[in-house]
Amino acid sequence: MKGTNLGEFEELLLLVVLILQEEAYMLRIKDEIKNQVNRSISMGALHTTLSRLEQKDFLKSEMGGATKERGGRRKRIYELTADGKSALNDVKKLRANLWNQVPSFELKFSNA
Amino acid sequence: MPSASQPPKFSLKLISWFCKDELVEELQGDLEEYYSDSKKNTFKGLKYWYQVFNYLRPSTLKSFKNSNARPMFIFNPILTLRNLYRQLSTSLISLFGFTMGLVATIFLYFYIYSEVNTDRFHEDANQIYRVLRVSEMNGTPYRIGVTSVPYANALLTDYPSDVTATTRAVPENGLVAVGEKRFMEDDLLFADENFFEFFSYPLASGNKQSVLATANSAVLTQEAARKYFGDENPIGKIIEVDNAYEFIVSGVMADIPGHSHLDFSMVLSIDLLESFDWFNGWWNNSLNTYVKVPTLAQANNLDGKLDQFMEKYMGKDFEKSGSKIGLELEPLVDIYFNNETRYDFARHGSFASSLTLGAVAIAILFIACFNYVNLSIAQSFMRAKEVGVRKVLGGSKSRLILQFLSESMMILFFSILISIGICELLTPTFNSFFGLEVTLNWMDSNVLTFFLSLVIVILLSSGVYPAVLLSSFKSVSILKGSKLTSGKNVGLRKALVVTQFAISIFLIVSSMLISVQTNYLNSKDLGFDKEAIVLVDLDNSEIRTQRDQFKDRLLVNSNVQGVTMVSGEPGGFHDASSFIVTGVSETHRMRTLFTDIEFFNVLGIDIIAGRNFSSELSSDEEFTMILNERSVLELGLDPEEVIGRKVSMPGWDIQDVPVIGVASDYHFSTLKDEIEPLAILTGGFHRRLAIKINMANMKDGLLFIDKTFEELAPGFPMSYEFLDDSLSDLYEREQQQAKVFSAFSALSIFLACLGIFGLAAYASQQRQKELGIRKVLGATAQQIISLISREFVWLVLVASCIAIPVVWYFMQKWLGGYAYRIEVIDHWYVFAIGGMTTVLIALITVSVKTYRAAISDPTESIRNE
Repeated sequence: MKGTNLGEFEELLLLVVLILQEEAYMLRIKDEIKNQVNRSISMGALHTTLSRLEQKDFLKSEMGGATKERGGRRKRIYELTADGKSALNDVKKLRANLWNQVPSFELKFSNA
Repeated sequence: MPSASQPPKFSLKLISWFCKDELVEELQGDLEEYYSDSKKNTFKGLKYWYQVFNYLRPSTLKSFKNSNARPMFIFNPILTLRNLYRQLSTSLISLFGFTMGLVATIFLYFYIYSEVNTDRFHEDANQIYRVLRVSEMNGTPYRIGVTSVPYANALLTDYPSDVTATTRAVPENGLVAVGEKRFMEDDLLFADENFFEFFSYPLASGNKQSVLATANSAVLTQEAARKYFGDENPIGKIIEVDNAYEFIVSGVMADIPGHSHLDFSMVLSIDLLESFDWFNGWWNNSLNTYVKVPTLAQANNLDGKLDQFMEKYMGKDFEKSGSKIGLELEPLVDIYFNNETRYDFARHGSFASSLTLGAVAIAILFIACFNYVNLSIAQSFMRAKEVGVRKVLGGSKSRLILQFLSESMMILFFSILISIGICELLTPTFNSFFGLEVTLNWMDSNVLTFFLSLVIVILLSSGVYPAVLLSSFKSVSILKGSKLTSGKNVGLRKALVVTQFAISIFLIVSSMLISVQTNYLNSKDLGFDKEAIVLVDLDNSEIRTQRDQFKDRLLVNSNVQGVTMVSGEPGGFHDASSFIVTGVSETHRMRTLFTDIEFFNVLGIDIIAGRNFSSELSSDEEFTMILNERSVLELGLDPEEVIGRKVSMPGWDIQDVPVIGVASDYHFSTLKDEIEPLAILTGGFHRRLAIKINMANMKDGLLFIDKTFEELAPGFPMSYEFLDDSLSDLYEREQQQAKVFSAFSALSIFLACLGIFGLAAYASQQRQKELGIRKVLGATAQQIISLISREFVWLVLVASCIAIPVVWYFMQKWLGGYAYRIEVIDHWYVFAIGGMTTVLIALITVSVKTYRAAISDPTESIRNE
């Protein structure tokens, strides 16, 4: 297995899904990434990543409400699994841990 | 353009074709929402399609990775061929059936196509009309094809806004001399200068405006040019007609692209005829007048005005004769099938018989299709395991259907190739056997469309059902070895067999009835002696002026038993005229025959009242009259009453002809029509000589007649025929129909039997074990044969029950076209014979196949499990 490591984009997606909660479906995710991170991702690319996360059991999904704009078709709404949440936490901890070890002057330097 | 909120339909289709089924809904939804959300700008469409194509990626695409499926199920000709080879006998039966059916269909298609398209090759076919005269015979109107010379110009000058052009065509026969060679031709055509402009007969050499411009120009058809001049260039050569008139060949026609109602070997300038005094008379009706009217509305308008036209030019004559004649326009393209028109030299065909032939061809094709369906269904048991294994290996239903369809397609493909070959090879044979003129012209868009639709129809009707049936077998139950039951299919199979045999019985019985009727027509007592009578044409002026000498000289010979001159022989031309009889107030229309004193003696017709013409009385030689019974009846008189009355014929300017006798009715026209009123007069105009000869010395008699003719009219070949031949020629179409029908009924029964032969083979194979056990328990071979045959015989019996009432109905309708006909009920045995023959043939076919199963050693079939 590729293991439980999260890629950068995967982490981003999981966070966005977490933020959007029950609004977390393809177009909202795409818009949110565009607005918050200013990255244009095609829906196809998003779909691939989302389904990979589902395979890794970080995400689960179910078909949700249909709207008129979708021609009466339902949308797939993503939600984090417990694994997903703990994976995010792990990453955060790992990062925090690493951050803490960075000498403070280095950061100041780069911020300038 | 799709509306603003609707994405292009095709993009959504693309998703549903290529993406996993479970994803389609959300992906399409996403796309549609994306499309309706995104702002309108120039790149909207482009951006959208970028998203669409981005969705087509490995994670979303359907799985095509089942590696076994592809090589096994794509169209694989080798595999298909192997399958066909494995069931060689059924494949051959199917191949043979399709081929026969296709040959029949192709041949008849070309025949019907050319029939229906007769005269349509003319560029202005829809604007050309022929002028018909309408007369009536005792209440029933009839149309007359020929008109006279002045019509064309009168129509052109009187209706200049409607009639843009006219042309005339005069049929003639004559002796054509080219150098030393002489030919008696009966299909010469004299025509107006604009003939080739008016019609679209193509010219190989010569200019269509000027080719008939000079008075003595002649245009030959390809065949005539070849016949007269061989390979030489005929242009500028001289041909002589009737030893008197010279024509110079000014053009040669190219092959006519289709059939035409006019049949001619050459077109000569009409100018020659203008010198004859008959030429300009309104009553000398001997030619076809054609007019060109640009639109249908104008034609209808003109049609309404034609009564005035006739009144204007012939009002006085109408008053004198007491009967009127109307005028009508007949569209050029209708001439060919309008075979009711009288006095018409145009070629005619029968639309009804074209339709019938088409129906027969389709019936044969269906018999072939049913064979294929039946055999495939029967085979399906043997192929069940194959289907099961294929399904287990990942073959989807649609792939299997495709595979089975490709097998049908392969057979069909071979059949088409073979049948095209057969048609090419055998067309001359077919043509001479059926008396048709069919040319195969494959490179025509209509022909290609027809073939394409034919293939699709065959494929749909024969390939689809077996393919669907085979592919729907459940793999699990097949492979577990459970027995297949197919109750529904057995019903269908039986229905198809019944239909096949019903068609065959229909064709057999109707062909038998047609020949019974044809025999009846040929053997019916016509009321005169038709044996041993030679008809000699008085077809040139020399012999016509010397006809009395000719007659006298013939009578000297001992082989000549009697001679009479006639204006028309029985079965031939009998003009109609108005008659005024003293003491009868109305004018009556009757047919006329001009002849001489010997007529009744030579033909052996009885006189039932009054007396016969007598050679003792010189007053009998010109204009004495004998009526037939029917005309006396029509006049409302007794035979005795009519004797001694005087008759006038205003149309002919003949006054006060005494009626001296009444003859018994004889059939002077075809048996399709009732006997009409007929007046037989001495004197007048004669076209033929009827000579009764001694049949024991027929050859000497004929030689003597020919020699005498040659002496009186040197240089003119004599043309003659026997009366009984010319009478049976009247029923040529019936004989032809009988031939066609019997050929096709033989083909249909053969194909149907091939089908049950195949079915019986499967039945005996499938029931091998059962039969083995029956034999062990003491069944005889006969019992086993009858066990299997019984089913088929039943089917054929059911088929007869269905077919017989249908034949009865159709034959009644067909016979309705004959005034003198057989009664179907008197010929019930034909139905019995037809049905029994079919049953017998079916029984023999099945028995031959089951015999082997019946005599086989039971140990062979029971041994292995």
